[in-house]
Amino acid sequence: MTTTSAIDDAAAPSRTSKSGRANGKVRRSAQSRRAARTGALLVSPAMIFVLVFVLFPLGFAVYISLTNWPLIGSYHYVGVSNYSELVHDSDFLQSITFTLLYTVIVTPAIFIVGYGLAALLRANRAGAKLFRTAFFLPYVIGLTTVSYMFEIELQPTSGGVDFLLSKLGLASASKTWTVHYGSALLAVCVIVTWFASGMTMLILTGGMQGISRDVYEAAEVDGATWWDKEWRITLPLLRRSIALSLVISIIGSFLAFNQFYILASNNPKLQTVVEWIYSTAFAKFEVGYATAGAMFLVVIVAAITALQLVLLRNTEE
Amino acid sequence: MMTSVATPPMSRYVEKPPRPKRGSGFWAYMTAGVALAIVFIVPIVWSVLRSFQPERLSSSAPQSADFTQMSLTNYSSVSHGTYNILQNLANSLIASIGTAVLAAVIAGLAGYGLAKFKFRGSGIVFSVILVGMMIPFQVILTPLYIELSRLHLINSLLGLVLVYTTYNLPFCVFIMRNSFAAVPNEMMESARVDGAGMFYTLTHVVRPLVVPGLATAAMYAFLMAWTDLLEAMTFIQTNSVLTLPPRLYNITTSTYGALNTSYLASGIVISMIPCVILYLSLQRYYVQGLVSGAVKG
Repeated sequence: MTTTSAIDDAAAPSRTSKSGRANGKVRRSAQSRRAARTGALLVSPAMIFVLVFVLFPLGFAVYISLTNWPLIGSYHYVGVSNYSELVHDSDFLQSITFTLLYTVIVTPAIFIVGYGLAALLRANRAGAKLFRTAFFLPYVIGLTTVSYMFEIELQPTSGGVDFLLSKLGLASASKTWTVHYGSALLAVCVIVTWFASGMTMLILTGGMQGISRDVYEAAEVDGATWWDKEWRITLPLLRRSIALSLVISIIGSFLAFNQFYILASNNPKLQTVVEWIYSTAFAKFEVGYATAGAMFLVVIVAAITALQLVLLRNTEE
Repeated sequence: MMTSVATPPMSRYVEKPPRPKRGSGFWAYMTAGVALAIVFIVPIVWSVLRSFQPERLSSSAPQSADFTQMSLTNYSSVSHGTYNILQNLANSLIASIGTAVLAAVIAGLAGYGLAKFKFRGSGIVFSVILVGMMIPFQVILTPLYIELSRLHLINSLLGLVLVYTTYNLPFCVFIMRNSFAAVPNEMMESARVDGAGMFYTLTHVVRPLVVPGLATAAMYAFLMAWTDLLEAMTFIQTNSVLTLPPRLYNITTSTYGALNTSYLASGIVISMIPCVILYLSLQRYYVQGLVSGAVKG
């Protein structure tokens, strides 16, 4: 019902502004008031959703983080004691350090592979479309399913990874990948790079298509090498796409959960911040404390996003 | 005379298409492309083959590459008995389709409002949606849980759909706003001048132009809901209400410590199917939506 009446109002303002000019100011402002009401009505469902399920919980989170909220039962206000406790909580600090380490390793890996894939297909030669489809396929399947796939393949002796490596003579056939810190981290980083580089490829491809062939041709005339062209033309002109792909990877890594929860939950040293929040709130039932930890993540993620918005606005041509 | 003689060779020179070069560079490109495509596709094909492998082979050492004895046993065991996942598959479909429809409708309305109406506060609306983009659900999992439990929406697919819809809205509203902004005002106006009612205009003139955007929004919302693990396992605790991803996790951990490879392998393939079908059939929208939504967002 709302929709239909909104649609009727839609073209009214533009029509009166042209053909109904003689009707004078009063009528036009009534029309524009009506349009304003319709516009507000149209966006209100979306607004309600964001208010109820994002902004309200966000404010609520600040409140919860100042209490000793258990999952069930009574609670009371504890001030900032959750926060001061967090600073000395070695589990929490380790989850932050680990998440940072993971981000620092996996972000450049995804970027370099994604850039390589985009550069390979840039000229749109025969088969490029097919290759692009193939490179993006892991991303389409989703990280949860991909993690399950590799949960099977990383099994000692029966998994495909050990099978392949032993056939290539690179490792013994019974490596327990997910138990040891180093090998588990390595395995997850390789898997996530395999999973996400297609996404970076697509973002960079979008940027590369905006660079005119003429720029490269002019550089070739001046005797530029392949490396010169990448370094002096492609990279500077791709600033926006590069910043975007990096921000997506960084935020994604900060919020990592599925891959470690599925592949390495048996090793507490490989606990990400989101895993810490989840287990503190829903296994230890310390909801207030877990929420205080989550507020750190809110600040970090919001800062990265805000930085992205500012940076991208400034580099806009 | 002069022009007719002079023009053809000129234009032929200009329009001459560049001849594709197939030198050593091309073959290096082909080799690299094929090799990489193998790296990206083989693990997926491998895991599809896995799902047809009997448990006895998939969990034992030397025959891990033995795909000679294929059977459908795994699929029949996940559709009967203790590890029946048919109910969870249905739950996943309900949650994902519900999210796709709701997100597309709400984002469609909001996109229309933001693109075609000037109203006070539209800037605020857009900022609120941007804030929504900055706050990932992972960081407000605990207040959301408490809120949903007060609303009696824990253990409910409806609750899950509402949360999924919210976290898809920023991206979907963005896509829809761009779609509606691309519809020329003159077009809607001239349809009206020609005597078309607004409803007719929307369904016959505007619709073809915004359908790609709607398809993109709905597809992204569907895929997000379909592949979600954390929200589903937080907000739903009963096996019979769980969606597929957390149910698969429970299956793998409930078989006495040892990974039940064959159940999981068939669950993986079932989870992949809608993703791959949507991607291959709507690839153009997929990529466009991703690039436009991401680059401008």
